[in-house]
Amino acid sequence: MRIKSWHLGIGVVSMVLGLLFVFQLRTEWKMRAVLPTRQVNELAKMFSSQKLQLEKYQNENEYLRKQLKDYDRDREIVRLRMTSGLVPLKGKGIFITLSDSDKKLKNYEDPVFYIVHYDQLELLVNELWAAGAEAVAINNYRIGNTTGFSCAGTTILVDTKRLAPPYEISAIGDPKNLKNALMMPGGFVEQQILSFNLKFSIETADEIEIPAYKGSISFDYAEPVEEAK
Amino acid sequence: MYIPIIGALIGIIIGVFIPYDIPINFVKYTAIAILAALDAIFGGIRAQLDQKFVFYKFISSFFTNTALAALLAYLGDILGIDIYMGAIVVFSIRIFQNLSLIREAIFDRVWWHAGSDSKDKDI
Repeated sequence: MRIKSWHLGIGVVSMVLGLLFVFQLRTEWKMRAVLPTRQVNELAKMFSSQKLQLEKYQNENEYLRKQLKDYDRDREIVRLRMTSGLVPLKGKGIFITLSDSDKKLKNYEDPVFYIVHYDQLELLVNELWAAGAEAVAINNYRIGNTTGFSCAGTTILVDTKRLAPPYEISAIGDPKNLKNALMMPGGFVEQQILSFNLKFSIETADEIEIPAYKGSISFDYAEPVEEAK
Repeated sequence: MYIPIIGALIGIIIGVFIPYDIPINFVKYTAIAILAALDAIFGGIRAQLDQKFVFYKFISSFFTNTALAALLAYLGDILGIDIYMGAIVVFSIRIFQNLSLIREAIFDRVWWHAGSDSKDKDI
């Protein structure tokens, strides 16, 4: 018999058919032996998706476990206490002295421009925060999260503590950065303090001590919100 | 007509000796491939009976049909709809059509011979 093209084509496809048939049958038998239900395809799909999910959860679990291992409760507490001002701090920083002007005033000069006002102090502290200060105290009184400044006659009220000049401001942070930020040409200090001949000096110090915050930390109205996951 | 049977037997024997089974996830695809192969075989036989068989057409149609069916099955898996049912229906319909055409062609041939023979005898 001469082999023609259709013999070859149909023969090959038939062979493929036989092969696939055997493979399929084998799988089917195996499946019957293990799974009695008819919904095998559905179950298989579910199985593979669940397996993927399981893998995902396992990875997440591992990640969380690692985080848990790395998490140091004490260190966290110390950090939080430092942030809220509950512990005295020390470190490198700058020391600023600010005082009313000594200038002998002429008759036409208004003395109100030549004394230190609460807003100047507040803005100065603000500048310090902006320059990266980690803790600030005025006359050894720690500036806390809720500290406010107000005017009280010849003195300045910080929280509930009365302060009188000279104001000694100590700030912990990178001394060079803090000093440069304050002495920026055209900045707050040059425009609002030096121009009024107020007494002003900055010293960098290798060790500055800042006491703990003495004001009240109480939350009567605020409640923590559960963080959404 | 014994070519497909011989081919299938060779395939089955090879299959028996290769210890492989299809992963459960792909059973659907194999089922479609089997149907496509069946369809191709019936189509090929019919084309041969009509004297229209072209080897490359036959092989390429087999592979494109199988590929499209597999693609449909895959799409169905993604979308959660059994789109491959469409392929199964089409293949089945074509198999039956081809089968009936093959049957008619064979009967025609047999009857034509028989008829001519009887006519010859009658005259």
